[in-house]
Amino acid sequence: MYDIVNSLINVAFGWGWPGWVIALISHLAVTTLLFVIAPFQMLFLTYYERRAIARMQDRIGPNRVGPAGLFQPIADGVKMFTKEDIVPTAADKWVHFLAPCVVVAPTMLMFAVLPWGPGMVPADLNVGLLFFFAISSISAVGLMMAGLASSNKFALLGAMRAVAQMVSYEIPAVLSLLAVVMLTGTLSVVQLIEAQAGLFISSADVPGIPDLGLGWFIFTPVGFLAFIVFFIAALAEGERTPFDIPEADSEIVAGYMTEYSGMKFGLFYLAQYVLNFLLCAIAAVIFFGGWQGPGVGWLYDRAISPANPDGNWVFNVLAGFLGVFYLLAKTYAFFFVMVWVRGAFPRLRVDQLMDFGWKFLIPLTLVNIVSAAIWVALLRWGPEQGITFTQNWAPILRWGVAFVVTLAVNVAAYIALARIFAAAQAEQGRIDLDEYRDTLTATLR
Amino acid sequence: MATVIQIIFGLIAALVVGAAVMVVTVRNVIHAALWLIACFFGVGALYMLLEAEFLAVVQVLVYVGAISILILFAIMLTRQVTGEGVRQLVGGWRLWLTAAISALLFAVAIAPTVIAHRWNTPAPPGPPGTPEPLAGVAELGRAFVYEFLLQFQVAGVLLTVALIGAIVIAFEERARRRRVLTLAEEHELRKRLAQPQPVEAPAGEPAPAPRATPISEGEVQQ
Repeated sequence: MYDIVNSLINVAFGWGWPGWVIALISHLAVTTLLFVIAPFQMLFLTYYERRAIARMQDRIGPNRVGPAGLFQPIADGVKMFTKEDIVPTAADKWVHFLAPCVVVAPTMLMFAVLPWGPGMVPADLNVGLLFFFAISSISAVGLMMAGLASSNKFALLGAMRAVAQMVSYEIPAVLSLLAVVMLTGTLSVVQLIEAQAGLFISSADVPGIPDLGLGWFIFTPVGFLAFIVFFIAALAEGERTPFDIPEADSEIVAGYMTEYSGMKFGLFYLAQYVLNFLLCAIAAVIFFGGWQGPGVGWLYDRAISPANPDGNWVFNVLAGFLGVFYLLAKTYAFFFVMVWVRGAFPRLRVDQLMDFGWKFLIPLTLVNIVSAAIWVALLRWGPEQGITFTQNWAPILRWGVAFVVTLAVNVAAYIALARIFAAAQAEQGRIDLDEYRDTLTATLR
Repeated sequence: MATVIQIIFGLIAALVVGAAVMVVTVRNVIHAALWLIACFFGVGALYMLLEAEFLAVVQVLVYVGAISILILFAIMLTRQVTGEGVRQLVGGWRLWLTAAISALLFAVAIAPTVIAHRWNTPAPPGPPGTPEPLAGVAELGRAFVYEFLLQFQVAGVLLTVALIGAIVIAFEERARRRRVLTLAEEHELRKRLAQPQPVEAPAGEPAPAPRATPISEGEVQQ
């Protein structure tokens, strides 16, 4: 973007503006573009979810406004805007007003490190992955503000549930990412995607095979387990259905959103769907290669890039379109899985949620980190790191041994942990007759 | 470019100082906690301005995302502190004395740095246009496991001890914990109680399968 604006202003018009003005203009342009894209994603996702869930429940879903109900979200948006904005008398006015902003702003900031296509990333931080999760943890503060300021029991309960859930499921999410970071040795999202080029059977490239862009981490045992854990944690962070206890409408009205109406409620809604979109997108980026896919690498090799300045701009456009297409296809597929889970599972209880996160997912991710270390040691380390026995193995043999060993470790860990967890849950569900004898006999009389 | 950075620095510094002042002057404890969060965030922005990206992100992750939530939880679970007009701990001349002592202690801590530090250090050497990152993640990690290994391990042991201590404090004996029974479970228990004398108080039984039979008052009385 900087180069485009620079060539337009300084080369084509010859105005000779200083570098920081051009940087400012280009960043503002990218930001504006993303801020326009985000609400449209949210509008589309609400429509998509309603249609998909309607199919699962043997209904049709929204189908009146526009062709096949496509304009239904816009009608809903108009409805949101024209509703009256009610602030409770007992509310803490300023905090009540600021809470939706504090919830929406982090989700927008998370777009800053999301790569859309080859060379299409708003800001390539070298700690991009960590930035994503650090920023997402801010919205917990906003939820807490909403709950505290509303002076409503349901809002407070919902906020406590939401924050407790977000804080505890952040840990398995970050730990599962740690395994992937160990595989790549970088925290930059762009380099993470570049590490997933090539072919899935081996990260050590097999010579003579074109870059199909299929070296996704999902095809390794470590990445697979990390993806499962990450996706469950993402469901909890985005407050999707098996984990939607913060806004369980049959228990606590709407949780922290109870006292919000009109566009403030709409902002919470927007934040939630944009967050879901971003979580799906980051899952696609980390485990499914983001924009990597057959053809993108080939196109981008012929385009204008820092490595190849005399390319053809047509290939830039083509590679960009194909990359964005792959990314969005993966993202929407994950969102469909989220909707599917919503259609299939009932809501968990609070204690089940906490037990599952702390006693099952976290030990599983810790084992996964160990098997990531095994993977790295078998594939990359040589005599200088103290691993001598793999010295004479062929790359394919190394890869195969690493695959089998990590698969065995992960499967064994999963089976053992699942048994322990099931036994613990059964023990907890056991009811001692003596404990309840007094209460029950008292009510009998 | 330098002026722009100066202006941005001025704005962020004003935010940090203003928020910090608000933390100690505002009467409502929750508002004070929220101002404190704003202050943490401003410090994170300052780190970002220094191009210490990792420190900035960790500042946000740890302080804004975790510590502040802890503070808010603590306020929420403590009674009688959320209202306005809470009495201050000390008043009158004692307040001034406290302020003077704290200012003195802070001066003792900061004075050597202010006096001995060499300000206006030149920019780190490097090719123009590509400034070196102050401390990358890799350098920090290497420093932790080579240079500061002892401190790292001691901090790790300390945190583990704190974790175990928290679990010990919060641990509840199973015998003292009761959960709300579902209707089906209550029905099953009542049925067993209603029998003349259960066979030597069974040590435990698996949770009965949920049954659809509703509890009628007469049925239980038998």
